[in-house]
Amino acid sequence: MWNVLYVEDEENDVIFMRRAFRRAGVEGWLKVVGDGQTAMEYLSGRGLFGDRLNYPLPALVLLDLNLPTVSGFQVFNWIRQQPQFQQLPVVIFSSSSRPEDRLKAKELGASDYLEKPDSGLDFGTVLETLKRKWLAQPVALDPIAQYSGSLAVTHVPARP
Amino acid sequence: MNATKRSDQIQRPSALISVAIFVATTALMVWLKLRLFPDRYTALSYALPLLICLWHKDRRLLWTMVATFAALSALKDFLIQPGHQPTEPFDFLQWLMQIANIVVVAGTVHTILNLTERLRARNEELHVANEELTARAKEIARQNAELHAQGEELAQQNEELQQQGEELGRQNEELQQQTEELERQSEELQRQAEELQTLNQELNQKEGMLTTLLDCLAGARDEPQMLEQVCRALLDLVGPSGGIAAVLERAGDEIVLRMQAGAAKLSEAPRPFAPSLASVVLEHDRTAFVDDLAARPDLSVPIAAQQRFRSVLATPLRLNGKHLGTVNIYSFEPRKWTTQQFRIIEWVAAQCSLALGVMRLQEELARTNSRLEEQVRERTAHLREMVDELEHFSYTITHDMRAPLRAIRGFIGTLEEQLDGRLDSETKDCMDRIASSARRMDRLITDALSYSRTVQTELRLSVVDAAALLRGIIDSYPNLQPPKARIRIDSEIPKVLANEAGLTQCFSNLLDNAVKFVEPSAIAEVGIRAETHDGLVRIWFEDNGIGIPELFRPRLFQMFQRANKAYDGTGIGLALVRKVAERMSGRVGVEPNGGTGSRFWLELRLSKSNPIESAAPARVMNESEAQNANAGRLALSAIKLIESAGK
Repeated sequence: MWNVLYVEDEENDVIFMRRAFRRAGVEGWLKVVGDGQTAMEYLSGRGLFGDRLNYPLPALVLLDLNLPTVSGFQVFNWIRQQPQFQQLPVVIFSSSSRPEDRLKAKELGASDYLEKPDSGLDFGTVLETLKRKWLAQPVALDPIAQYSGSLAVTHVPARP
Repeated sequence: MNATKRSDQIQRPSALISVAIFVATTALMVWLKLRLFPDRYTALSYALPLLICLWHKDRRLLWTMVATFAALSALKDFLIQPGHQPTEPFDFLQWLMQIANIVVVAGTVHTILNLTERLRARNEELHVANEELTARAKEIARQNAELHAQGEELAQQNEELQQQGEELGRQNEELQQQTEELERQSEELQRQAEELQTLNQELNQKEGMLTTLLDCLAGARDEPQMLEQVCRALLDLVGPSGGIAAVLERAGDEIVLRMQAGAAKLSEAPRPFAPSLASVVLEHDRTAFVDDLAARPDLSVPIAAQQRFRSVLATPLRLNGKHLGTVNIYSFEPRKWTTQQFRIIEWVAAQCSLALGVMRLQEELARTNSRLEEQVRERTAHLREMVDELEHFSYTITHDMRAPLRAIRGFIGTLEEQLDGRLDSETKDCMDRIASSARRMDRLITDALSYSRTVQTELRLSVVDAAALLRGIIDSYPNLQPPKARIRIDSEIPKVLANEAGLTQCFSNLLDNAVKFVEPSAIAEVGIRAETHDGLVRIWFEDNGIGIPELFRPRLFQMFQRANKAYDGTGIGLALVRKVAERMSGRVGVEPNGGTGSRFWLELRLSKSNPIESAAPARVMNESEAQNANAGRLALSAIKLIESAGK
């Protein structure tokens, strides 16, 4: 079991992503926040997000760039500034095909840059890519033990 | 001596003939005396044969014959005759006379021979002397001839010398003429030199003033400073007697003192224009002077330090051809002003006008400049605002406008899935068309943005790992992955000199095309390989697609050209690839792939072992510059997009 925190303000895209996760049978793994501020609150476990059973720390953050008030890059920088999240995979997920955005993401140290598919129907391929590249090794089940007191992600051996 | 010796040698008588003659005569005598007439005396004398010696000049023969005949005579007279009966009695006296006869004849012959010999010797000597004389005469004649020839030669030389002498005489005359000419010129030059010296003095004075004026032009911050320098320069004209130089300006009916310099101070109060010298000068538009102001009580003259001026020189001051005022020099003593001073004050006034003109022009320019700068600032700010807006607009287009299109296609797809089997074909067709239109719109937006950005962006070249880039692209585009497509990298692909973003664009466009243009039932298969030659890398993309009609190939890489309308497309993708390739000093092309499919190639420069960071001169943009450039590009992208959308 791994959780993906999807930071996205565009409702339609959220719908398509939920659909992709539902079709893959892992709907529960997708946690969505609508803006950058909320994303930071979620990650730092403030307020409601202190409940790690319902809002577990994610194994990966899928980050849209074009967010209201706090931009995707700002969120990304904040994540990298937090000692406990330095190893957390953050995949930029944007509809921008501009090379400068791609380059900026690379320079800042984003784990990957995925361009949003042309059609909402194709979000399944995004999930496939994420699974193949970033979620191939299942992580510890206990979402709280995952980061507590340790900077590194604790990996468990692959299933036989 | 020579002669006797020669006669001895030559004239020696032959001994043989002598013996023969001796024998013959002796025999004849013997026969005559002893045989024929042994008993008588014969008249024939013994002396006769001796005469032969006059012919045969042998003295030994002579005296031998003498001796012999004497002996013979003695023999006959003393021995023979006594035996015989002589017919005539012997007479001793007669025999003695006979002997005497012989001896006398012999002596005579001897003497004659001696004389003859001596004569001959003398003759020979004379002959030799004569020959010598002849030779000497010849020699003298020859020397004479030589002397004659030399004499002629000397005469010729003499003639020549005479000619040269005449020539020299002529030249001398010419030189004399030239000398006179030179003397005349020298006098002329001296006169000119004197004139020049006068002019030079004037020029020096002018030069001094010009230097001052130039200095003040360069150094003077403003008009008053410049005018003050002009006045100071003019004070030189007044000389040691002292005076004041001033610049006056006409202001309506008054004369205003603009600047002054000198021993005393003029009153700065305006004076009426009409009775002043300035009015006269300006009216006649020429330099004027008053020798002694005492003679012109009608002119108003300023007063300085309770002292009256006695003489004044004034010239008009112009600005851009119009009268501005006058330049005056006041003297406390009456004086005559020289032409030179006239010229100088006029000249200084002219320079002053020029300087004034330049200064006022500069002031005007400075004012205009600051106005322009202000305007530029305002407009720049305005433009910056517009550019920011346009950038935001462009960003919105990429992000916000694509989201609804994605939604349209997504929801149409969702609807189709949910109503699967319950849709009639017409409705299904409508929904498909909605989806494909949305897709087309989306592609148009991204392609137009990419293209316009590429056209305007400066592509900096660096070493790019093409292989890694290709793998990254294939990994991040689901369309390029199984089951939709099978893409192989068949050979090692070297690092190239390119712009990473540009190369990404090229690769993804080429791969998109390769997987897109396949028969609907087929699965796209693309092989990628690289060839290296001459510092270039050619990367081939070989597909199994529908290929490109021969006729369309020339237009393949042009904007908005589409070979096959059955497939989605905007006709921008390959135009963009070509543009980007060219901007990276590369090329792109296509070749038919035997049976089916196409073989596209992209040619780039091979990265050297010592990588060159940038092919273009490296220029690091500072942040604001970069922002400006970005903003400009975005603005233009947006405009192009709007234009293309409008079409």
